[in-house]
Amino acid sequence: MGFEKLLFYIFAAVTLFAASMVITRRNPVLSALYLVMAFVSSAALWLLLEAEFLGIVLILVYVGAVMVLFLFVVMMLNIDVATLRARFIHYLPLGLIVAGIMVFDMFLVLGPADFGLDQFAKPQSQPADYNNTAALGQILYTTYLYQFEIAAVILLVAIVAAIRLTLRHRPETKYQDPSNQVRVRKGSDRVRLITMPAEPVPPSLTATLGATHTEMTE
Amino acid sequence: MIALSDYLLLGALLFAIAVAGIFLNRKNVIILLMCIEIMLLAVNTNFIAFAHYFNNLSGQIFVFFILTVAAAEAAIGLAILVVLFRNRHTINVDDLDMLKG
Amino acid sequence: MELWSLLPVPVQSLIATVLIILPLLGVVAWYTYAERKVIGYMQVRIGPNRVGWRGLLQPIADALKLMMKEIIIPTQANKQLFLIAPMISIIPALAAWAVIPFDAGLVLADINAGLLYVLAMTSLGVYGVIIAGWASNSKYAFLGSLRAAAQIVAYEIAMGFALVGVLVAAGSLNFSAIVMAQQGGVWHWFWLPLLPLFGVYYISGVAETNRAPFDVAEGESEIVAGFHVEYSGMAFAIFFLAEYANMVLIAMLTTLMFFGGWLSPFQGIPVLESLFAGVPGIIWLLIKTFFFMFTFLWLRATFPRYRYDQIMRLGWKVFIPITIVWILVVALAVVFEVSPWWSATA
Repeated sequence: MGFEKLLFYIFAAVTLFAASMVITRRNPVLSALYLVMAFVSSAALWLLLEAEFLGIVLILVYVGAVMVLFLFVVMMLNIDVATLRARFIHYLPLGLIVAGIMVFDMFLVLGPADFGLDQFAKPQSQPADYNNTAALGQILYTTYLYQFEIAAVILLVAIVAAIRLTLRHRPETKYQDPSNQVRVRKGSDRVRLITMPAEPVPPSLTATLGATHTEMTE
Repeated sequence: MIALSDYLLLGALLFAIAVAGIFLNRKNVIILLMCIEIMLLAVNTNFIAFAHYFNNLSGQIFVFFILTVAAAEAAIGLAILVVLFRNRHTINVDDLDMLKG
Repeated sequence: MELWSLLPVPVQSLIATVLIILPLLGVVAWYTYAERKVIGYMQVRIGPNRVGWRGLLQPIADALKLMMKEIIIPTQANKQLFLIAPMISIIPALAAWAVIPFDAGLVLADINAGLLYVLAMTSLGVYGVIIAGWASNSKYAFLGSLRAAAQIVAYEIAMGFALVGVLVAAGSLNFSAIVMAQQGGVWHWFWLPLLPLFGVYYISGVAETNRAPFDVAEGESEIVAGFHVEYSGMAFAIFFLAEYANMVLIAMLTTLMFFGGWLSPFQGIPVLESLFAGVPGIIWLLIKTFFFMFTFLWLRATFPRYRYDQIMRLGWKVFIPITIVWILVVALAVVFEVSPWWSATA
C-alpha cells in the first residue's frame, strides 16, 4: 500500500508543477507542452483510481488530438508575446489572493476531517477479471443512452462549426480534381493535334540569326 | 492508504492554479483556454475519485461526457481564435473592443 | 519455472522488459540493413557488402559511427526541448510493446484495454516530431514537423476506426482474446471479413510512421530531411530507432489483428496441421511479422512520394468513409452471425 501512496504523491506533484508552469510560462508553446505533462500525469492518477478506460482515453483524446490542435494553433499564429505579458506582474497579487482564498476555503470543506478514510473507506480493489471498459459500456448504452446520443450530436455540431469557421476559399489557389483526372479519355482529352501554316520568319530575326551564325562559324 | 480527501484537495489545488492563471494571463486567449482545460481536469479528477470511493460508475460516465463536450469546446474555441487572428491580427483581449451598438 | 516464481514481481517484469526490448533493438538494427539490401536488389544494386560477411555487420558499424559523432545543438534552438524530443519519440514506441502477446500467455502486461493502450501510445509519438521541429528553430524542420503532425493526426482517425472494426469482430480489446477469436485456419483470420479495414489499417500504418510513399515529413528532395534536419549523432539515431521500432510495431499489430497472430495457418487442414503441429506459435508470429516488415520496404522501393494534399485527401475522403461503412457491415454480420466467422462464437 505504501507504493501506491508514493505513486500518488509523485504524480500529484508532477500535475501541480506542470499546471503552475502552464500559467507562468512566457511562451505559449511551452505552456501547451506543460499542459500535456499535466494531462499525462493526471491519466496516471486516474489509473490509480481504477478508471483505466478514462485514463487511456484522456491520453488518446486530449494528449493525442486536442493538445496537438492547441500546439498547431499556437505555433501557426504569430503572437506578440511581449504585449500580452505586459501587466503580468500587475495581476500577480490579485491572482494569488483569489487562488489563496479558494484553496483555504476548499481545505476547510474538503479536508480529511470530512472526507478522510474514516468517512469514506478505501473500497476493495476490483477482481483481476473486472473489465472497466465493459462495465462502463454496459451502463453507457443502457441508462445513459439518450445522453450518449446527445453527446454524439454535440460532437457533430462541433465538427461542422469548426470547419465552417475556418474554411475559406482562396481563388488564387489551384486545385487538382482527381476524379476529373481519372475521367480523362485517351483520345481528344489528352492531346489535341491541330494543323497550322508555318509562319514566315520576320526580317529582323533573320538578321540577328544570321549574325550569330557567322560569329559561331568564325 | 490514499484517502478521498487527498484527491479532492489535489483537485482543489489544480482548480485554484487555473483560477490564478486566468487572472495572470487575462490578455492571452490561448492561455485562458488552457486554464479552462486545467479546471475541467480538476473537476474530472474529483468525479473519478468520488466514483471510486462510492463504488458507483456514474461518476465516470460524467467524466466521459465532460471529455466529449470539452473536446468540442476546444475545437470550436480554437477555430474562433484562428478566425479572430485572421481578421484582427491579434489575440489580445484588450484589442477586441470593436463591438458596435 | 519455480525459480522464476520465487523472484519478486518488479524483478520479473524488469527481466521480461529486457527480454522484449533487446531482441527488438536487434531486429530494428538489422531491419535497417535489410532495408538497404532489399531496396538495393530491387534497384539492381548490391547494397552494403563491406563490413562483415555480405555486409551483415553494417548496422554495428553504423551504430558506432553515430555514437562517435558530436550532437550539434543549433545556437538558437531551445536546448532542453531539442534534447528531450528524441526521447519523447522513442519512449512510446517501446512502451507500446508491453501489451503485445508473442504466444498464448506470453505477454508482459495482459491488460483488458490493450488495443486502446497501443492506440494511445502511438498517438503520443507525434509529440517527438512536433517538439523536434519546433525546438530546432529552423524553417525546414518546422515545416516537416507540421506536415508530420497533421498527417499523423489525420490518419490516426482512420486507424482508430479500422481498430473499432476489429474490436467489433473480436468482441474484446485484449490482444490475446482478439487472436483467439480468429481460430480455425487462414479463412477464419480477420483479414477476409475485414479486408477493407485491413487495407486501411496497413496503409494508415505506413502513413503513421511517415514512411514512403507518405514520407512528406522528411521529403529529402523538398525539405531536406524534415523535422530531424538539425539532429546529428546519437540524437538522430534515436529518431531513426523510433521510426523503425514503430514500423515493426505496425507489422506486428497487423499480424495480431488481421492474420491470426501466433495461430498456425494450417489449422483445420487434415495432413498439414499435424505436420506443422510442433512449430511454436512465436515462429508463425515472426514469419507473418517479417512479411509485413518486408512490405514496408517493398512499398518504399515501388511507389513515388505522394503529394501532401493528396495524402490528406486519401485520409479524410477515402479511408474514413470506407471504414465507417465497413464497421456497419461488420456489426450487421456479427448481429446476424454470418458464418463461418461468427457462428461458432455465438
